[in-house]
Amino acid sequence: MNTSNLIAMTSITYAIKAKKLLISKGYKCELTRTPKNLGSGCGYSIRVFNPVGEILPILKSAGISWKDYQNN
Amino acid sequence: MIYFDNSATTFPKPAGVLRGVMDGIREYGGNPGRSGHRISLKTAEKVYSVRSVIGSFFKAEAENVIFTLNATHALNMAIKGIMENGGHIIISSLEHNSVSRPVIALADNKKCDYSIARVFPDDKSTIKEFEKLIRPDTKCICCTVASNVTGQILPYREIGRICREKGICFIGDCAQGAGVLPITLDEGFNFICTAGHKGLYGPTGTGLLISDGKFTLKTIIEGGTGATSGELTQTEFLPERLESGTINVCGIIGLGKGIEFIQKAGIDKIFSHESLLCNRFMKRLSSDKNIKLYRSGENFVPIVAFNLKNQHSQQVASALSDIGFALRGGLQCAAVAHSYLGTTEQGVVRFSPSFFNNTNQVDWLCDAILKISKGTKV
Repeated sequence: MNTSNLIAMTSITYAIKAKKLLISKGYKCELTRTPKNLGSGCGYSIRVFNPVGEILPILKSAGISWKDYQNN
Repeated sequence: MIYFDNSATTFPKPAGVLRGVMDGIREYGGNPGRSGHRISLKTAEKVYSVRSVIGSFFKAEAENVIFTLNATHALNMAIKGIMENGGHIIISSLEHNSVSRPVIALADNKKCDYSIARVFPDDKSTIKEFEKLIRPDTKCICCTVASNVTGQILPYREIGRICREKGICFIGDCAQGAGVLPITLDEGFNFICTAGHKGLYGPTGTGLLISDGKFTLKTIIEGGTGATSGELTQTEFLPERLESGTINVCGIIGLGKGIEFIQKAGIDKIFSHESLLCNRFMKRLSSDKNIKLYRSGENFVPIVAFNLKNQHSQQVASALSDIGFALRGGLQCAAVAHSYLGTTEQGVVRFSPSFFNNTNQVDWLCDAILKISKGTKV
């Protein structure tokens, strides 16, 4: 649970939507800028503290798209 | 001054709206979706929370709620975004210029063809008229849900059903309906366009374009969206695609408070209260044969148009203004509607109450109008 993973989102709107959804389901989630190695432009990511493989299906089922992710 | 010009913009605004705007200036000073520092993120989260409130109100996904400057801005984006590549569009005979002018501008530039469906007093005839005008190349029907001149409610649910059956895009000008009618995407709209500053009680400079996500709009404005910044072409996804440039954060927060006010008061209660005032107004004025009321139809939002025989509507509105009543005379930016009503020369005086008006105020206004009609000093 201490390792964090980043999911680069398509927009700030989807990043906030994802954060609210995950928090409502009991996950810890934070908003952050997307680091350069994960995307270009002024993008936003969510930092999650669970495996990305557990998080992505939740986002997908809510129609929330993402650009990339970094699984530590 | 007693204000009865709420179809132009509601006044006064609920206290929560004032506090919301002040909060926007005081607490949410960052540029949402841009810089990424804590103040920017805090602002972005606040804007998203309002987007969610509005999404729930109109039964839309939060990301499909687009903030615009006003209803005209939203309608231009929707109409031009759908019709840019040609085809046929149908509008009604009761349209505001915010619908008719963009359509006619496109037609003048040979970008689309259009028809005007006559609105009849009975809904069945109106629906038949719309159906009759549909052609194989009809791409869109765009109409007001309620006339800003007479208040007549169009059979928009039926028109929405026809559009759904035929795969035609349905754009609703909900400027006079939102906040008094239970308007949602479930009524068949693909796009709801409305002002934020009228029945939703938000500040001026706010409007909404709400999509059901089924049609992609070509953009009429491109620029910085805070997303896909490294690309030379416009962002593809909503809401950023249609929100180029910094949005009106203070206005949006105020608008959110306006909608909270409506939810707390209840749309049914607001509609009933304002309709009661309209009925009282009409009952009083109908005793004077020199006063003409423009009310032919089945259902109305709380608007009453009237004229005094042989007096120009602007003259009457001006006389009322001089003694402390704010009503709008003239053409109400609705050339097509006035042409249909036969009131292009005289215009009409429009009475449009809000939830904040009361029966005493209506009685004082009626006393004044009846005196002006009789030529006695007010």
